[in-house]
Amino acid sequence: MFEPLIHAIPVAFSLQSIVAMLVGLVAGLVVGALPGLTVSMGIAVLIPLTFGMSPTAALGLMAGMYNGGSYGGAITAILLRIPGTPASVATTLDGYPMTQRGEAAYALQVAVVSGTIGSVLSALALILFAPPLTKVSLLFGPAEYFWVAMFGMATVSVLLGDDMVKGIFAAAFGLLLGAVGQDTLTGTERMTFDVLELVDGLNIIVLLTGLFAIPPVLNMAEEAARQGMPAHLLALKRSRSVFGEWRRYLTIWMRSSVIGIIIGILPGAGGSMTSLVAYNDAKRRSDDPDSYGKGNPEGIAASECGNGADNAAAMVPALTLGIPGSGVAAIILGGLLVHGMRPGPQLFRDNPDVVYGFMLQMLTTAALLSVFGGLLATRLFGQALRLPPILLAPLILCITVVGVYSVNNSLVDLWFMLGVGLVGYTFDKLDIPTAPLVLGLLLGPIAESQFRLALTVSMGNPGILVSSVTSILLICGTLLVLATPLLQKRKVTTTER
Amino acid sequence: MIDRRQMLQGVAGTAALLPFGATAQTAYPAKPIQMLVAFGAGGGTDIAARSIARFMEKHLGGGAQIGVVNKPGAGGEVGWTALAQSPNDGYTIGFINAPAILAMTVEKQPRFSLDSYEPLGNLVLDAAILAVTGDSPYKTLKDFIEAAKTGSAPITVGTTGAAGNSEHIALMSLSRLTGAKINHAPFGGTAPMRQALLGKHIPAGTIGLSEGIAEMKEGSLRILGVMATGRQKIAPDIPTFREQGVDLVSGSSRGIVAPKGIPADIAAKLRAAVKAAVSDPEYVSATEKASIPLHYLDGPDYAAFLKKAHADMQAIWTATPWK
Repeated sequence: MFEPLIHAIPVAFSLQSIVAMLVGLVAGLVVGALPGLTVSMGIAVLIPLTFGMSPTAALGLMAGMYNGGSYGGAITAILLRIPGTPASVATTLDGYPMTQRGEAAYALQVAVVSGTIGSVLSALALILFAPPLTKVSLLFGPAEYFWVAMFGMATVSVLLGDDMVKGIFAAAFGLLLGAVGQDTLTGTERMTFDVLELVDGLNIIVLLTGLFAIPPVLNMAEEAARQGMPAHLLALKRSRSVFGEWRRYLTIWMRSSVIGIIIGILPGAGGSMTSLVAYNDAKRRSDDPDSYGKGNPEGIAASECGNGADNAAAMVPALTLGIPGSGVAAIILGGLLVHGMRPGPQLFRDNPDVVYGFMLQMLTTAALLSVFGGLLATRLFGQALRLPPILLAPLILCITVVGVYSVNNSLVDLWFMLGVGLVGYTFDKLDIPTAPLVLGLLLGPIAESQFRLALTVSMGNPGILVSSVTSILLICGTLLVLATPLLQKRKVTTTER
Repeated sequence: MIDRRQMLQGVAGTAALLPFGATAQTAYPAKPIQMLVAFGAGGGTDIAARSIARFMEKHLGGGAQIGVVNKPGAGGEVGWTALAQSPNDGYTIGFINAPAILAMTVEKQPRFSLDSYEPLGNLVLDAAILAVTGDSPYKTLKDFIEAAKTGSAPITVGTTGAAGNSEHIALMSLSRLTGAKINHAPFGGTAPMRQALLGKHIPAGTIGLSEGIAEMKEGSLRILGVMATGRQKIAPDIPTFREQGVDLVSGSSRGIVAPKGIPADIAAKLRAAVKAAVSDPEYVSATEKASIPLHYLDGPDYAAFLKKAHADMQAIWTATPWK
């Protein structure tokens, strides 16, 4: 297996490819950092530009953009509490409180180092285990996906915040929003009010951008008279470094990477869910779970590492089976097709240079992320904090509006964004957490449709839900997550005695 | 010949849209042409649009520019409504997918009909196939139908759309024609259906031929038949349903249209550009490499094809409504 890898090196690192990787990485950072603009959109726009390039250079560009974009989302999440991409929602939870404490530089460093580690491990998994990992993704049918969604839903408990009733209310509201749209099993439209744009359900990017970008803008408007952050307080020079404290993060990085890789290779589940699950896992295992959500850098490490680990792993089923593990992977597949390459086992035989070259490029761009994301982007974007709110708020609003419009080229989406933004603002004022809402919105539709699909396939026999080892393992995992608070409580009482 | 009124309309329209010194003499195209795609960026139709656009630019000449604009939503309805309502000045063209668009006009009242569009040329016709896993007990279509007729339970077949998609309609026709009992499972997307089929979570599924051909060559899927009028160039070994005694034709086409009433000379230019683009050797070799089932139909043939498909769809809806 190492022979094709060595053969791929000169192809993957030709001058054209290196330039393409760098351009992709920088473009990815920018696209990722702009709320509303996503990596999928960036790559889709790039594909026609790659027609004239060699396939490896085109893939280098996409690899760079993929890895760059996945970190870019963390920058605004930390500095402004606006996740640049849906995957960085969990990063806002601890990233923004750290910025408020004047630890923005440290938070960004944790994010970039964790993201790099996740992406590099994920790329290594892709290179070493792509064919065997494919078998794992084939184990998942409708019943197993239903349990994946239930497992994710169980993790809501740690996102609830201090007031459980408010947290559950937010999660239920998310489930309700997720129910909007056409029911794929019967074709019936639900809560669409004859609005054509609602037939596919509420667009997740539009919704998340509204939910997370509008409230900070309104908050800034409230404080419009305030001055920008003075340069001496910005403190982009870090007081401490993640490299000195690597022991603290090591287990989080390892666990989050494994979580990211596993969820990544499951088609359809990945992306936004990965970082939330990794965050939950870290919080659950922490000695001091209450510090999460109040500016604990471990939360950033878990979220960003899981997010990064999702990237290359999502390409495993895409390259080996032609089944994309994420939206971005789906678009990269489209790019491969344009260059006359059909994903699947034959790809490894017919174009080994291209496949292994792409894997090496995923690895390289992941590693380069630490340089570009850490040194350049952080310093550059950090300056945004120095703008007075009266300038920053309209700027963010403009960028958000352009980004959200470009999702579907639809004005209706802008109204949805505004409406959801006002809901988010109200939630903020009432101290209702928004993270459970996201989880309900993401997982509700998966749980519902897969449950019904499973029962359709089994012709009504519920036995299908527990018919595979994978399902039973997922059920055990879900029960464990649900039982953790109880077990912890008992532990506390025993120690007190 | 264009009559004077139409020409005046065209001039007025162009002048209104081009306030900066456009005159009646300006050769078409005087500004970028918008190509609407009713599906998201990176999907099959989007890729088809972005690849043909380059070659159409080349053959329109005069530095023509075509910009692909995605308007996804509601299974194409959002984009197709926008296309039908666009100005018919030749600066907006777009892709429609039959039979999906036809099913819409039959089962509900969208804000467009087949008459809202001027066909410019069809590009792709991807015939539907019935596929089972490589180790399936069903070796031929006959085995499958026999088992579905005599078995105690129906056979589950996955499709890639929502209820009422063209594959669902094809399966209903299959049941009607042969008496096979089929349990339909709509997966709402190609990727999840293929995964469930390859992972043996379902025994059979329907997809486009171009989407299953690689797996067939690998041996992980067996294609029982292709729902086409004749054998397909990209897979000549696969028998049609007709050859196996079931008169079933189904598949998904992608073609280029303009809003109805565009000036005749502009329509002629666009038709010629589509024709020249699909016969461009560079384009042909690119589609062959990607196993895209190219099926060019010129304007009138495409119009006839759409009309017949619409009549068929209407007949199926009357006999067995799917919603």
